[in-house]
Amino acid sequence: MSYVLKRIAQSVLTVYVVISASFGLVRLLPGGPLDYLRAQAVQQGGSDLSMSEINARIAAQTNIAVNEPIYVQYADYMAAMLQGDFGVSTRYGDPVMSIIGPAIPWTVFLTATALFLAFTVGVSLGAFMAYKEGSSFDVASTGVGLVLNSTPGYVLALLFISYLGYRMELFPTGGRYASELTVGFNASFLGSVLYHGALPIASMALVGFGGWALSMRGNSIRVLGEDYLRVARLRGLSTRRIAMRYVARNAILPMYTGLMIAIGTVFGGAVIIENIFAYPGVGFYLIQGINARDYPLMMGGFIIITIAMVVGITVADLTYGVLDPRAKGGGSRESY
Amino acid sequence: MSRTDRDGDSGETPGSEADFEAVGDALGTPEQFTDEGRDPGPAPISGHARNGRVAADGGSSSVSEFQQMADVSMTDAERRRQWIDEKLLAPARIVWSDWRARTGVLVVVSYVLMATVGLAIVTEPSPNQGGYLVGAFRTLEYPLGTTASGVSLLSQTVYATPSMLTMIASGAVFTVCLGTAFGTIAGYKGGTVDRVLMIVTDIMMTIPGLPLTIVLASALQIDGNPVIIGILITINAWAGLARAIRSQVLTLRDAEYVEASRIMGMETSTIISGDIIPNLMPYITMNFVQQARAVIFGSVGLYFLGVLPYTSVNWGVMMNAAVNRAGATSSPAAFHWLLVPMVTIIILALGLTLLAQGADRIFNPRVRARHAETVASDGDDDATTGEI
Amino acid sequence: MQEHRTQGGPDSADPIIEARNVCVTYDLEHRDAMVLDDVSIDLRRGEILGVVGESGSGKSMLANAMMDAVEEPGITTGEVTYYPEDGGEPVDVLDLPTEELKEFRWEEVSMVFQGALSSFNPTMSIRGHFEETLAAHDYDVEAGMERARQLLGDLYLDPDRVLDSYAHELSGGMSQRALIALSLVLEPQVLLMDEPTAALDLLMQRSILSLLADIKAKYDLTILFITHDLPLVAGLADRLAILYAFELAEVGTATQIAHDSKHPYTRALLQAVPNLDAPTDSMRPIEGTAPNPAHVPDGCHYAPRCPLATRECHEETPPWVDVEDDHRSACFHSDEAEDAVPFDLSEVSDA
Ligand code: SF4
Repeated sequence: MSYVLKRIAQSVLTVYVVISASFGLVRLLPGGPLDYLRAQAVQQGGSDLSMSEINARIAAQTNIAVNEPIYVQYADYMAAMLQGDFGVSTRYGDPVMSIIGPAIPWTVFLTATALFLAFTVGVSLGAFMAYKEGSSFDVASTGVGLVLNSTPGYVLALLFISYLGYRMELFPTGGRYASELTVGFNASFLGSVLYHGALPIASMALVGFGGWALSMRGNSIRVLGEDYLRVARLRGLSTRRIAMRYVARNAILPMYTGLMIAIGTVFGGAVIIENIFAYPGVGFYLIQGINARDYPLMMGGFIIITIAMVVGITVADLTYGVLDPRAKGGGSRESY
Repeated sequence: MSRTDRDGDSGETPGSEADFEAVGDALGTPEQFTDEGRDPGPAPISGHARNGRVAADGGSSSVSEFQQMADVSMTDAERRRQWIDEKLLAPARIVWSDWRARTGVLVVVSYVLMATVGLAIVTEPSPNQGGYLVGAFRTLEYPLGTTASGVSLLSQTVYATPSMLTMIASGAVFTVCLGTAFGTIAGYKGGTVDRVLMIVTDIMMTIPGLPLTIVLASALQIDGNPVIIGILITINAWAGLARAIRSQVLTLRDAEYVEASRIMGMETSTIISGDIIPNLMPYITMNFVQQARAVIFGSVGLYFLGVLPYTSVNWGVMMNAAVNRAGATSSPAAFHWLLVPMVTIIILALGLTLLAQGADRIFNPRVRARHAETVASDGDDDATTGEI
Repeated sequence: MQEHRTQGGPDSADPIIEARNVCVTYDLEHRDAMVLDDVSIDLRRGEILGVVGESGSGKSMLANAMMDAVEEPGITTGEVTYYPEDGGEPVDVLDLPTEELKEFRWEEVSMVFQGALSSFNPTMSIRGHFEETLAAHDYDVEAGMERARQLLGDLYLDPDRVLDSYAHELSGGMSQRALIALSLVLEPQVLLMDEPTAALDLLMQRSILSLLADIKAKYDLTILFITHDLPLVAGLADRLAILYAFELAEVGTATQIAHDSKHPYTRALLQAVPNLDAPTDSMRPIEGTAPNPAHVPDGCHYAPRCPLATRECHEETPPWVDVEDDHRSACFHSDEAEDAVPFDLSEVSDA
């Protein structure tokens, strides 16, 4: 239990640190975001805006009331953030949360599906490769795995969008679903969602599964040589039980650190992929924010992505703690 | 991710807890049996899957339990020679003996040549060098084609190499230095230092790297210096490495020779740099390679999005221009503009992947044992010197 | 193969497992490597037979062959016959069909490995190991777990605590004892123990050995105890068999071997031990190394290292010599061994 609490405390701390750092970035850097926003306000509002009006406007945008003492600014900022108030986008004029909030499920949909597909396909393939070790199937798959592992997701995305999207017109080249459809749990809408998500997901999943397959292959081969596997066979356990409880379990668990890193990679990758496919997810708005120097939108996007990732990693971590008895013992878990 | 394979950490302990003697101690690898005058021949067990531990234990099987004492009597010089042989020459041999690693080395070397000699051979890129959007492999003059403003893609690619390599190197060096420093200190010191460093590390690990880079680049208003960009790309990548290194150090910390140094009252810093780091070197090398790949992927991706500052054209900027200026994704006429930098990075990344794969083999004691033969046969051993 | 090796039971009495001309070979790069060479030995009902050999002498192979558990690509030939209690049909172990072999293992003959920690699935509780074993053999799980508790208790473990633990949470001695309990949960007749104490400290080794004697009496076991540690097993075993380079060198009662060995190799082993109670570490090495399985010398395998070796030794396989009742030695010069390889018995204190 204390393990769970500790883990959650750690996650909360991470989010806290990131939000504080965002305050530091916006507020404290000379020539940084705040100055830029001030200049922007002056430009837009003309010279007849008074200083206090400008400050009020900045306060609304960033949750930072510049004329207050710094610790009050910090407290207000944190309080606003905790309530999900990420300020107002300078580009769209809407609250950041109302722009990014609806985008969150879409990004989670893309990343989680891609990660899940890459992992399950990769792990099954890797186990099969280990089983067929040395066969031409194994050699060929290893080759394919290596090449895919050396291809960034966005390269695949660009190839997909130009061939399958523009040239062959098999897949849409933007959007989350066909705009004429009614949102809801109906077949045509869900189908459209999958149709639009197919290429982004495929480009993230395909570059990932090679890596999983290769590590699963290596781990399985290692486990197959373990003493306990031999003892299990002598004890007369069924092949099925040995495959599931012994080989699969012990080969997959060490891939845990890899999974943590993959969560980060996939969230990072999604930023690029969403932009290639003009897929309005969090990453898409993050880049919109950057390009428009829309600091509230950009910071909001960043914080949301971080929170999503922290949640993902915490869930992975806690699941791992349940699955691997060694995790709670402390320490030994990070060996891989 | 292939890191995961490396838990045979007890593999090198002399006379370590025995394997299932089963196939193992009887077979071992032939060269481990010091029966002179017979050619060692290649290692016999080809289905190595069957008995990983046997292999991991390899070295010890030649030394019977009745002879263990012999190990103690090695002189310092011998130990050093053996160390060099084992840690440097043997890995080099292994790397070279493996086609993957060899290919990897060749790829990396050719990119370095491209960044140096290439600049002298290929003309500098400039607008209107040739026709607009000449396709690849159409003319000898512009073998890879030209851009919408008539710049030779070959020139552009080659001239982008130095800054890309600088960026890659700086990112990898930054990650490896920071990761190693955090990892070794945390692992070696333990206690509060360890706890604090690991909390910092865990926090860094849970922040998404690329978005962090984007935000920092935008907020800090940095310029396009490739060294700084390289560091920025890997701003939190060191955390994962630090964790991995720490757990390696934890196992090393209790090794006998480290213990000995500690008892002799050596400074912590001396122990870390003298005893611990050398043992992590192969592992660090491998991570360096992997980080290099991560920098390529990250930097090109972000340049492609147009969210990083730059001083000279690079592969990512080329891709950005191809898509934004010529609509390369939708227009076949401009597609080569996009393809050239993409292939360039895939080949480099593949080379680095292969190199990492090869380096990974250094950790496989079975492979290592096969190449450690000089250690066994160089010595004046009358069957009493087992290799470690 | 020589006639006298194949005839009759070399060790007579009431065998529970009878091994005849057992060979284990591996095909290495088109060269046969023999890792167990024509070994014939009986395991007698109710005894503890100690098998002693250096690492790499093939002693584990012998145990594996007895339950047809040599791993691919090794090939076991010869005959292994199991005689069930109360005169049931003798079982030809090496010829058992898969399903019956599965039952035979663990229900009749069971094995304990060295390195107990690595014999358990790291991600399964000890209880899981017991339960799955019972279930795999269609035993009543509840009754079986009761027996498991009993066994653990007999081994001085707290059953509930151990059952709920994972291997990594147990000490070396504890996990080794848990492994012994696991091997006995299906009430086998024979327990093959492969270096079961090698990874433990001296004190723990001794205490496990004494526990073993109790367990053996209580559960009516026959034990084959494999070790490289002659002093360790000398006090425990009824009989000893010495293996050198894949073949048997000498077989006799523990006393005969320890005091009146008639084989130069056994004597060299004993000579290397200053004191039967001394830890193995303090043993002096024997000159030379054991041969590679792919290059086993012709004639007596020990000849290259043997001080008594003559031309004959290098060319022909030495015959078995019955030096005493129940005591045989495979050596041309067994009668000279005593003088040629002396060792000081005054310090030796065996059981
Ligand atoms: S047969 Fe010959 S070589 Fe072998 S042990 Fe006897 S004397 Fe030595």
